Amino acid sequence: MAEPETADLTEFHSHFDHVDTDSALLQRYEIDGHTPQGALRVNTIGDIERAQSAAMRQDFAVIATGGRTMLGLGMPPRRYDLALDLSGLDQVVDYEPNDFTISVQAGMTLAALQRTLASNGQFLPLDHPRFEQATVGGICAVGRGGLRRNALGGPRDWLIGMRMVTADGTAIKGGGKVVKNVSGYDLPKLFAGSLGTLGVIAEVTFKLRPQPASDQVVALHADSFEQALAASRAAATAAPFLNGCVALSERAAARAASQGADILDDRPALVLRASGLESAANEVLASALAAARSAGLEGEESRTPAIVETWQAIADLELGTPAAQVRLRIGLPPGNLERACSLVDELVPEVNSRVAAGDSGLLFLETATVDAETIRELRNRLGPLQGRLTIESAPLELKRAADVWGPPGPGVRLMNRVKEQFDPNGILNPGRYVDGI
Amino acid sequence: MVRDLIDAIGEQAVVWHDEDLLVYEYDGTIDRGNPDVIALPATTEDVIALIRIANRYDAPVTPRGAGTGLSGGALAAKGGVIIGMNRMRAILDLDVENKTALVQPGVVNLDLGAEAERHGLAYAPDPSSQRACTIGGNVAENAGGPHTLAWGTTTNHVLALELVTADGEVQWIGHETRDEPGYDLVGCVVGSEGTVGIVTQVLVRLVPRPTAVRTLLAVYDSVRQASNAVSAVVASGIVPAALEMIDKMTIAAVEPVLNTGFPLDAEAVLLVEVDGPESQVEAEGARVEGILNRFEPREVRSATDPEDRETLWAGRKGAIGALGQIMPNYYLLDGVVPRTSLPDVLDGVYEIAERYRLPVANMFHAGDGNLHPCLLFDEREPGATERVLDAGGEIMRLCVDAGGAITGEHGVGLEKRDYLPWIFSEADMDAMKSLRAAFGPTENFNPCKIFPKGHGCGEAGHQHAQHQIAKFGPKAFV
Repeated sequence: MAEPETADLTEFHSHFDHVDTDSALLQRYEIDGHTPQGALRVNTIGDIERAQSAAMRQDFAVIATGGRTMLGLGMPPRRYDLALDLSGLDQVVDYEPNDFTISVQAGMTLAALQRTLASNGQFLPLDHPRFEQATVGGICAVGRGGLRRNALGGPRDWLIGMRMVTADGTAIKGGGKVVKNVSGYDLPKLFAGSLGTLGVIAEVTFKLRPQPASDQVVALHADSFEQALAASRAAATAAPFLNGCVALSERAAARAASQGADILDDRPALVLRASGLESAANEVLASALAAARSAGLEGEESRTPAIVETWQAIADLELGTPAAQVRLRIGLPPGNLERACSLVDELVPEVNSRVAAGDSGLLFLETATVDAETIRELRNRLGPLQGRLTIESAPLELKRAADVWGPPGPGVRLMNRVKEQFDPNGILNPGRYVDGI
Repeated sequence: MVRDLIDAIGEQAVVWHDEDLLVYEYDGTIDRGNPDVIALPATTEDVIALIRIANRYDAPVTPRGAGTGLSGGALAAKGGVIIGMNRMRAILDLDVENKTALVQPGVVNLDLGAEAERHGLAYAPDPSSQRACTIGGNVAENAGGPHTLAWGTTTNHVLALELVTADGEVQWIGHETRDEPGYDLVGCVVGSEGTVGIVTQVLVRLVPRPTAVRTLLAVYDSVRQASNAVSAVVASGIVPAALEMIDKMTIAAVEPVLNTGFPLDAEAVLLVEVDGPESQVEAEGARVEGILNRFEPREVRSATDPEDRETLWAGRKGAIGALGQIMPNYYLLDGVVPRTSLPDVLDGVYEIAERYRLPVANMFHAGDGNLHPCLLFDEREPGATERVLDAGGEIMRLCVDAGGAITGEHGVGLEKRDYLPWIFSEADMDAMKSLRAAFGPTENFNPCKIFPKGHGCGEAGHQHAQHQIAKFGPKAFV
C-alpha cells in the first residue's frame, strides 16, 4: 500500500468542531520521527465511533493516545494519519464504593483515579511510571505489570469490564461490572496488552482493594548492584508476601533520589515494601530484612513516611531519561535474574543504570553502547533462561535493526489471525507491534 | 471415521458401543448430549491426529475433562467425537523457586493442590468439585471456588498453554512471567469453554502457602443479618481468603448427613477464612470475629487447626451432595451480582422459588456476589422440569437486572447461551465470534455453546429459554 503524502481531513472537519492540524501542536504526537496529519480530541464514545468510522472509509491510520507516557513503545508506525487523543475522556462513569468496583473513561489518569478511590479508603493495585499523566486506557493498552507485578499482577488481573470501539467504528463491550464473571469470551483480556492494534479502549471497569492499614518502605544500601540483587532474591524467597523488592544500581538510585525518593542517594540499594495490617507488614519486612542482611547487606536501614512519592520515583525509573540512551527491559522467571545480569555484564560493555525486581523477574537497563548484533546475542542466550528482551527506547536505526519485540514466538500465527479479524485493513497503530502487526 | 480414530490412537482408546457411550451423555447439568464416539488420547500428537480426522469427516468435536461441568460445556450437543482428556494426567514439572507447575490437562485439581502443598505452595482455584474436576476443564471454564475471593479465578493462575487449535495445529502460547510480547492469547483461551481448541499442557502459577489459617463460622437468625455481616466484612478493608454463606434449606440437607452441629432453625450460616502470616491472621481473625458479633449471631465458632477447620467447612463443601436428602434432583444456578445488591437479590430468589412452588437451597460465594441458588425438584413429577427451568430463567434475569451477569464461574455452555443477549449486543457477540474465528474452523468445535442459535443445535430443546426471553424482554443493559 502506497503511503499517502497527505491525508484528506475534510470528512473529519465536517464531523468535528475542531481537528488540530497545527504542526507545532502535532509534534506532541510524534513517534520515531512520524507526525500525524491531524489530531482529534474526543469527548465521548460517540466521537470515537464517528472518528473510526470515517477513518475506516478513508483508510486513515489511527493511533489512539492517552497521557503519551509510552507512546514511543513499539516499532515505528507503518502509517500515521490521525492521532485520536482520549485524554479529555476522563470522567468516572460509575462508582459504588461498597461494590469495590469502578468504571472510568479511558482518558482518566491513574493518579486521578487513585485520588478518587483514596477518599473511600480504596485503591487500584497497579503501579505505572508517571502516573500523573498516564491514563488508564493507555496503561491497559500497554498491558504490562510493573516492578511490583509479583504482588499486584498486571492490568489484566484487575480489569473486569471494558468498552471499546472497533476499527470500523462499532462500539462493543466485554466483561461487566461484577468481580467474577465468565459470561462470553474475555475480550477485556484480549484488548489489554494489544497496544491499540485491535480497537480503541474507551472505558474500563476495575475491581478494587481496600487500602492497607500499614504500608512500609525500607531501603538498605549495598556495596554493588550485584550485592543488592542477590539480597533481593534472598529477601523475596524468605518473604513471599513482600509487596515490592527492587535492587537499584548507583545511577538508578541517584536518579530516584533526585525525583523524591528521600531514602536513596547515590549508592546501590535494595528497596523493600510490605503492606497489610501493621503487625503483618512488620513480620514480612523483618524476615525480608534478615534475609537481605544474611546476603551481605550491612548498611543501615532508612525508612520513609513518604511512601507514594518514594515509590513513584522508583516506578518512574521504568521510563528512564529522555536522553539518546538505549533502554532495555528483560522479563524472566525471578530465579534466573542473576544469571541474566551476568550475561548482560558479559555482553554489554557499559551499562549506566540497572533496576531489578527480585520477586518479579524484571530487569531494566540503560546503556549507550549496544548494537543490534549484541541484542541478538543477548536474546539468543536469554532464551534458555526463558528471558524476553524488549527495546523500550532506542534510536530509530537500532529499533529497526534489532526489532523492538524480538523474533516472534510460537503464538504469532494466532496473533496475526486475531489482528486480521479485528483490523483487516490495518489502520490501527499499524506496524508497531509483534511481527509487524 | 471410527476406523480412522482407532488407527490413530488404538482400539483401547476409542469407545463407540452404544452402552459405553451412555456415561458420556451427561455432565453436572440437566441437559443431555449424544456423542457418536469417544476418543481418549494419551499425547498431544494423538489430539492433533484426532482433530484432523474429525475435521476430515466434518464431525463435531467436544472436549471433555471429568464431566463435572455445570453448564453443559462437555456435552456433545451435535453428536460427533468427544475427546476425553483423562489419560493425560501427569504433573510434568514443579518449579519451587519460580513457583510454577507444568501439568497435563487431565490432572485432578486436588492432586495438583496436594503436590504443591508438599513444596510449601498452593494452587489457588478450588472449585467445589475439586476432588474430581481436572485442570483442563478448569481452564476451559475459568473455574473459581471459595478461595478465589483473595486470589482470583483460574485466569489469574494460568501462565502458558500448549494448545491444539480447531484447525489441528499445535502451539505454545503465553510465557512463564507473561513476558511474551503480543496479545494475551492465554487470557482469551481460559474461559473459552472448549470452543477454540484443546489444551494439552498447562503452566500454572503457584502461590505461597499461608503460614496460618483461621476459619470462622457464624450462625444467624436471618439471611438479612448474615448479608449485612458480609457487607460489613467486605467494607472493613479486610480481604478474607473466603467468605461463604449457606441458608436454612442447605442446613436442613447437610445436618442429618454430616452432623455439622448447625441448629436446624437457623436461617443462615457464614463461613469466613483469613490466611497469611501468623500475626495477620491473628489480628484479622479477631477483627472479623468482632464484625460477625455485631450482627447478633446465635454463635460464632473459630478454628485454626486443619482438622477442626475441615469440620467447619464440611457443611459448605458437602452441601450439594446432601441435597439429595430433600429431593432427587437439583438445578444449580450461577448468577453474579454487585455485592451491595446481594440482600435484595436473595430476597428476590426466595420470592421466585416460592412462586414456582420449588424448594431452594442457597450456598454461595457471598464475598464475590456469586450466588448459587439450587432449585430442588423431582423430574418424575409432570411439569417439574419446565417449572425449574422457568424459575431458573427468572432468577438469571433478576441477576442481570441488578447489574450482574449470567454466570460467575460455571460458564454459559449449552444451558445459558440463549440468555447471552441479555447482557451482550449483537456487535459484542460478533466481536467474540471474530476472536473465535481466529482459531480456525471453529463452527463444529464444541458447537452450540456460549452463543445463541447455531445451525443444527436442536432449537426445540431450547424452547424454554425462548419462552423466558419473550417473557422478560430481549435485552437488559446492552
